[in-house]
Amino acid sequence: MSSSDAAVHGHGGHDEHDSNPHLAHHFDSIATQNHASRLGMWLFLGTEVLLFAGLFLGYAVYRHFYHDTFRFASHTLNLTLGTVNTIVLISSSFTVAMAFNMVKKGNNKAAAGLLVFTILCALAFLCIKGFEYQHKFAEGALPGKWFTFEEMKGMPGANMFFTVYFLTTGLHAFHVIVGMAILMWVLKKVIKGQVDASYYIPVELGGLYWHLVDLVWIFLFPLLYLI
Amino acid sequence: MSQPADSAALTPPEAPAYQKINYLNADRGVMSWLKTLDHKRIGIMYFVSVLATFLLGGIFAMIVRLELTTPEPTIIGANTYNRMFTLHGMVMVFLFMIPAIPGVFGNFFIPLMVGAKDVAFPRLNLLSLYVYWTGAAIVLFGVITGGADSGWTFYAPYSTTTPMTLFPVLLGVFILGFSSILTGLNFIVTVHTLRAPGITWMKMPLFVWGIYATSIIQVLATPVIGLTTLLVGIEKVGGFGLFDPGRGGDPVLMQHLFWFYSHPAVYIMVLPAMSVMSEIVAAFARKNIFGYKMIAYSSLGIAFVGFFAWGHHMFVSGQSSFDGGAFAVISMLVGVFTAIKVFNWVGTMYRGAIYVSAPFLYLCGFLFFTVFGGMTGIALATLSPDVHWHDTYFVVAHFHFIMVGAVIMAFLAAIHYWFPKMFGKMYHEGWGMVGAAFIVLGFNATFIPQFLLGNAGMPRRYYMYPERFTALNVASTAGSSLLAIGFIIILIYLIYALIHGEVAGPNPWHSKGYEWRTSSPPIKENFEEILEYPEPPHTYQQPGEEVEHVVI
Amino acid sequence: MADKNKQAADPSAHEHEHGAGRYVLIWAALLVFTLTTVITGRMDLGSANLPLALIIATIKATLVVLFFMHLWDSEGINRLVFGVALLFVLVLLAGVFGDLLTRMPDALPTGRHAHTLEGGDMPTTPALNPHGE
Repeated sequence: MSSSDAAVHGHGGHDEHDSNPHLAHHFDSIATQNHASRLGMWLFLGTEVLLFAGLFLGYAVYRHFYHDTFRFASHTLNLTLGTVNTIVLISSSFTVAMAFNMVKKGNNKAAAGLLVFTILCALAFLCIKGFEYQHKFAEGALPGKWFTFEEMKGMPGANMFFTVYFLTTGLHAFHVIVGMAILMWVLKKVIKGQVDASYYIPVELGGLYWHLVDLVWIFLFPLLYLI
Repeated sequence: MSQPADSAALTPPEAPAYQKINYLNADRGVMSWLKTLDHKRIGIMYFVSVLATFLLGGIFAMIVRLELTTPEPTIIGANTYNRMFTLHGMVMVFLFMIPAIPGVFGNFFIPLMVGAKDVAFPRLNLLSLYVYWTGAAIVLFGVITGGADSGWTFYAPYSTTTPMTLFPVLLGVFILGFSSILTGLNFIVTVHTLRAPGITWMKMPLFVWGIYATSIIQVLATPVIGLTTLLVGIEKVGGFGLFDPGRGGDPVLMQHLFWFYSHPAVYIMVLPAMSVMSEIVAAFARKNIFGYKMIAYSSLGIAFVGFFAWGHHMFVSGQSSFDGGAFAVISMLVGVFTAIKVFNWVGTMYRGAIYVSAPFLYLCGFLFFTVFGGMTGIALATLSPDVHWHDTYFVVAHFHFIMVGAVIMAFLAAIHYWFPKMFGKMYHEGWGMVGAAFIVLGFNATFIPQFLLGNAGMPRRYYMYPERFTALNVASTAGSSLLAIGFIIILIYLIYALIHGEVAGPNPWHSKGYEWRTSSPPIKENFEEILEYPEPPHTYQQPGEEVEHVVI
Repeated sequence: MADKNKQAADPSAHEHEHGAGRYVLIWAALLVFTLTTVITGRMDLGSANLPLALIIATIKATLVVLFFMHLWDSEGINRLVFGVALLFVLVLLAGVFGDLLTRMPDALPTGRHAHTLEGGDMPTTPALNPHGE
């Protein structure tokens, strides 16, 4: 049984609670707290994987049924823009990873610059996507009852390709927007010096979310544009 | 209240009979509750919320049962009837069953059981409550403005083409999913990172194991229902045609996506119930839990295998018979894990020092209903008979045996077992047993006739039925009235106990559970001092010791 | 002082030792693989197109997950979480394709009796139940 001088807070990590303002009262050490934060984020990323899984299933199912139509339809997408977008996202993943590295080294200035670049990449991605969408609207290459794409009229399952295309890229674009918001929140913390070489978990978690957005696109790109 | 000598080691010796300054009154004012980060207060707010949604779902159920008292139209029109059973299902499943035991008892007791001061992410915990309220409010709005008539399973193409406005209800369900995910995520991280020194994985209370396994399912399965509601909503509103054969789509695909979540969802409902029972059986048989490791691992087993079995809901949907056969066989596996638990609970009770009380009566009901519900589940999983039973009352009876017979029994048992810890007062045991009698007997009267009806061919979700089914339907409705009376009795004596109940003391049941090693009601910080955990929970005898009866 | 539960040193603190160079290398590799998939993707390789594209995408994803997301030197439980999530995606695919590949052909959307509507509104269900309101 503990002696009577055990503090009300009741654990030996009392010193760390005093010295580290980021340490919550219910965690015994910042190391455990960071581990918990990371685990929480990975669990959340797991949920995102399962969310997109249903759409990838939809793609797989309808590609299986309408193989030739899907192959034809993928060639009607703008490969150049798709490739540019892929390079943009991969590079943004690189810069956000670098930003995290910079914060850990105490270089908030470089980190901020890298984060700004990442956010601009996200914006570029959305603009290019918007341009592609606009083109699809003009052609009538749209889902379900909106499908009036002359070039593919009469092909079995033609509208299905664009249903899957808009659903997957639409949900992905939504996550890009959310990711941008998260990165802007992280950027604010970096600029204000609320993260630094001793406390960088927000940058780490924000970066993880952004990488997931990139991961989904890494699979979407070949499946929609190439094959 | 007499305390036997051993209980001195169970609770802090200085613990008062009733902890005057506790989590309930530590901070005052409505805002202190709405902005609380205290997992216990969040648990209480979930408690009040799920009681309200249970009442609502129960009202829909009573309307359905009253309508079915006669074969002809009785009190409502056919379209209203469709909305009543749909809303009964949706409110019960999404607003009550999924959040109830994890949200109320998981939140309140997981930190206490692992020796922590709170869950890993207290702010996310509060957020999960707000998200729950938001989703529930939107569902209720949908209920009022026309509701849904597609059945709680909202299959395409009916759900995507019905003139009923399904959209608000679907949106509400989508939002509720996030609450479920946040809760599950929080518990997983709590168990991994906040266990006190001395509480190893193999010394965790079995309730924690069950909630942990449930949380895994919540995190992995819920996103898929989120996507499904989104896709059905988009198809309904936007005409995207993903599940429309007229656009080249496959409606069975919607069912695959729906049941990929909804089958594991039933384990989200039942695993917490089973883990409550593991706690109760040891405490009320006053005997070491039989087969701790097997019970712990079987929870994980159910969580895992439950993901492979969803196609047994789709045997007659147009799914291939090959796939159906595969799902049928895999579904049987889950029965193995459940049976392991049942044998272990019975093994715990064998030669135990049984203390007959409301929780124990609910345990008895639970065991009976789990066995019958589970066995009829295996029967339904056998593909060929299911062709006869599918969409009949046989299925309805089966899942109510588990959802009401097992889960509600466990919920009520949990309320009674943990009432003295949560509120510091004891309910009147005599009335407790009266309430339990009404519930158990009322349940049998309601749902056993439904097995017979289903086997005789009465379809589910039907507004009218042939004359020859009248007697059994009347019996079922009468039984449901007994259930309703039982719930009202319980509500009354529990409210009375809150106000005028006898002071309970820190451990009225002399339980060895870790959550009893603090005051009743607990202080805001959970524990007055650091505890050590030399003994596993559910250990009532050392090797060679005799079981000991206690007077409570 | 009570002994701690799990005083794992913060793994990402080790990251400090790996400089930026690692990230540049991975980035370059990702660009090379992107180029590869673009070139091979639009070639007609018959039934090999899909597996090849998936393999390249998986390699790229693996590089991002292991190095940009630091799963390479992260705690084991994070790896388990991500791995299990991926496993269940496969379970979903397996269960559904087990159905699609073995279903009676006429019960599929491409069956004999399926006919597709061209544009226009979604069909709605006919008049509500005659015993209606």
